[in-house]
Amino acid sequence: MRALRRPEWAPDGIDIERPSVARMYDYYLGGSHNFAADRAAAQAMVAAIPEAPLMAQANRAFLRRAVQFLAGQGIRQFLDIGSGIPTVGNVHEIAQRLVPDARVVYVDVDPVAVAHSRELLDSDESTVVVQEDLRHPERILGHPEVRRLIDFDQPVAVLVVAVLHFVSDDDRPAELLRTLRDALAPGSALVLSQASDDGRPDAERAEAEAVYRRTDNPLWIRSRRELAAFFDGFTLVEPGVVWVPQWRPESPDSAEDAERSGFIGGLGWLGG
Amino acid sequence: MGERSGVTVPVVARPGAPAPAGTPPGRTRTSSGAQTFARAWAKAVAGTSYLPLTQAQLEALLHGFTVRLAAALLAEPLDLRTGQRIGAELVAAHVASAEGLGRTAEVLQLRLVRDLGLVGEDVEDRMARLLGAVATGYARALRDRTLDEQESIRRAAMAARTQAERALRESEARFRHQATHDSLTGLPNRTLFTERLAAAVNAPGRGAERVGLCFLDLDRFKVVNDAHGHQVGDALLGAVGDRLRRALDGHLVARLGGDEFVVLVERSAGTRDMIEVAEVALAAVREPAPVDGHELTVTASLGIVERQVAGASPGDLMRAADSTLHWAKAAGGGRWELYDAERDRRELARYALSAAIPAALERGEFYLDYQPLTSLRDGRVVGAEALVRWRHPELGVLRPDSFIALAEESGLIVPLGGWVLAEACREAERWAATSADAPFVSVNLAVRQVHRPGLVQQVRDLLDRTNLPPRRLQLEITESTMMSTAEEPVRALRHLAELGVRIAIDDFGTGYCNLAYLRELPVTELKVAGEFVAGLRAPGGRADERILASLVSLAHALDLTVTAEGVETAGQAERLRAIGCDAGQGWHFGRPEPADRLLARLT
Repeated sequence: MRALRRPEWAPDGIDIERPSVARMYDYYLGGSHNFAADRAAAQAMVAAIPEAPLMAQANRAFLRRAVQFLAGQGIRQFLDIGSGIPTVGNVHEIAQRLVPDARVVYVDVDPVAVAHSRELLDSDESTVVVQEDLRHPERILGHPEVRRLIDFDQPVAVLVVAVLHFVSDDDRPAELLRTLRDALAPGSALVLSQASDDGRPDAERAEAEAVYRRTDNPLWIRSRRELAAFFDGFTLVEPGVVWVPQWRPESPDSAEDAERSGFIGGLGWLGG
Repeated sequence: MGERSGVTVPVVARPGAPAPAGTPPGRTRTSSGAQTFARAWAKAVAGTSYLPLTQAQLEALLHGFTVRLAAALLAEPLDLRTGQRIGAELVAAHVASAEGLGRTAEVLQLRLVRDLGLVGEDVEDRMARLLGAVATGYARALRDRTLDEQESIRRAAMAARTQAERALRESEARFRHQATHDSLTGLPNRTLFTERLAAAVNAPGRGAERVGLCFLDLDRFKVVNDAHGHQVGDALLGAVGDRLRRALDGHLVARLGGDEFVVLVERSAGTRDMIEVAEVALAAVREPAPVDGHELTVTASLGIVERQVAGASPGDLMRAADSTLHWAKAAGGGRWELYDAERDRRELARYALSAAIPAALERGEFYLDYQPLTSLRDGRVVGAEALVRWRHPELGVLRPDSFIALAEESGLIVPLGGWVLAEACREAERWAATSADAPFVSVNLAVRQVHRPGLVQQVRDLLDRTNLPPRRLQLEITESTMMSTAEEPVRALRHLAELGVRIAIDDFGTGYCNLAYLRELPVTELKVAGEFVAGLRAPGGRADERILASLVSLAHALDLTVTAEGVETAGQAERLRAIGCDAGQGWHFGRPEPADRLLARLT
């Protein structure tokens, strides 16, 4: 939303006085890669929805299980859009434990998240960080660094995890995902997760939305049905789009009270 | 850390402590106690922070810690370092939150001794101190981790800001480059050139030095565009720009627009330097250029201006170089010209004079003199040629040769000629009072006037308005007027002749000597140029006399009258009369004079 108003050539300002969703997420996960403004916003969020940190954890665990699943299925290329602040359990760490030559491209719109990721991944030949916006998929796909690392003739797993709730319907998320899909080879995969409020009090939703209006990224809550529609062209694996703790849990009891996670997610394969 | 999970270290009980039933003396309960405890611990910390581990991996990790803690608890002396280390390792394994520590303390205090069956008289005491050590290690590691993360995020923010600023600077530099360079040739554009020229001229302490400019323009570049298309034209400009840049390395070469280039020599030693630069530039352009499969050869014209910096202004320098370029063009192109201040002044004066004509017409600064055309047979004034004068407020009275050519170039000849025609008709009408056979008035018509569509109507209106009989108006046209193949002028002259207006060919015999038009045109008179008459005076003037004689007999054969111009002496008049010439005009018969003087002469 910020890049749209500025002229193409003007780089975004770095404003640490303004909460960043990437750093707020880091705070929920117990990280300290955040500034006072991020913490204040995140604390307001926790006041509105006490489970917010648990939600972030559940979503992060979903990402881990999804990447492990994909690596186990032989996926060697990952495009993580909206990767945020690199913190515990990054995609390349998870994937490379199973597939040592896995290649990972991290994409985020937040310049601080990108700079931090660069520092962290500086010496890693099989990862790259790109500052781009999910709302410009053609730029992501055409980015020379992305093309250098990823062979689009081979299967790629596209991860759009905990991002779509920052993309409004006006930005036509289905079209954005279709653009990405059209660039992928058969055997590729799409992982989506996003905030959902199915069965939660309206008051919580209103307060959460108020918090995120202070950031550059207002919140767009969607239902399971809406998220499932985004998998157009993909075949969802079992159990489909569910509360994230219910998605292939490691133990049956970890899926208890799954709706408290506030996140829905799923994984689909692109057929050949 | 996880790799330790499979190892079960036997925990040695303190001497004298009662061994649990079923275990060998000197040992605690088996590792099953440690397993139980580790499971309880894992359950306690689950969900206190995000762990990139499965529950089983976490249990294995905590089992290792359990074994080490049990060993530390029973070690003699009590090993608090292990407690601190385990606290730090918990944080490193991402069991890193306030809740994680709280629950760890709780579960250790409640269950470690019990689950593992650890015994000893001071075991509670030891447990408290060990717990303190775990908390210390944990808190210190969490604080260290927090500080590290804070530092790294600040560094990232700084890096991002630096990156953003660099990108901004780069884009500014790019914009600056775009704003100051020509996209086609990559050369500096007019903006940058003007800046550099101003800097060169205005730099302090440079007054005594010299500066030079070469304006260069391709000859007939439009033909290249028309013949090969703009793409080829653009490619040619690119090639020319490239060569100029390479050939004139060290001087600023800029493209001003179109096919105009300029070279700035910031430090010139004199015109010789500049001529050298000009020759190099012209040679660079002249080289055949392979463009898009065509071998193109173009030439350029170049204007040089070179002068001392003191007193120079960028605007004047550019204007002077531009004028000089046009001189080179006017001289045929493919050459350089050196600025000539005197010539420039003359041209400026001409320009100023030309620009002043409309206002002068409005203010009535023009007037007419009349020069008689006298019959060589009886000395009667048969006609008078109207000659325009300009009473210029600063320059005094100007004769037509100083402004008619300017008026023709600018097109102002049309209103000026119209005024002359009207004024002459008005004046000539007055002459009717002098005799029944009053003289006609002869008025010069410029090419442009003849080619204008409204001429016939204009003359007809004038005759109506002034009541001047058509036969008392003679229009003088030059042979060159008839060079055009257009039919309109011929038709117009025919119409005028049909009205009864006399048509004379002025300066006959000096211009376009194709006599065919005499067949086409309703001409009534030939005016023979004064230079033939001048020859009559000279000893070797026999040829002129014969030419005149032939012209006269030719004219008479065609039923035309002949007036000789430039008759200055009685001898010339006599010879002309002898040849059979009809009339004469010149100082011998009377100089151009005001209408009243002519009128006096007639009465």
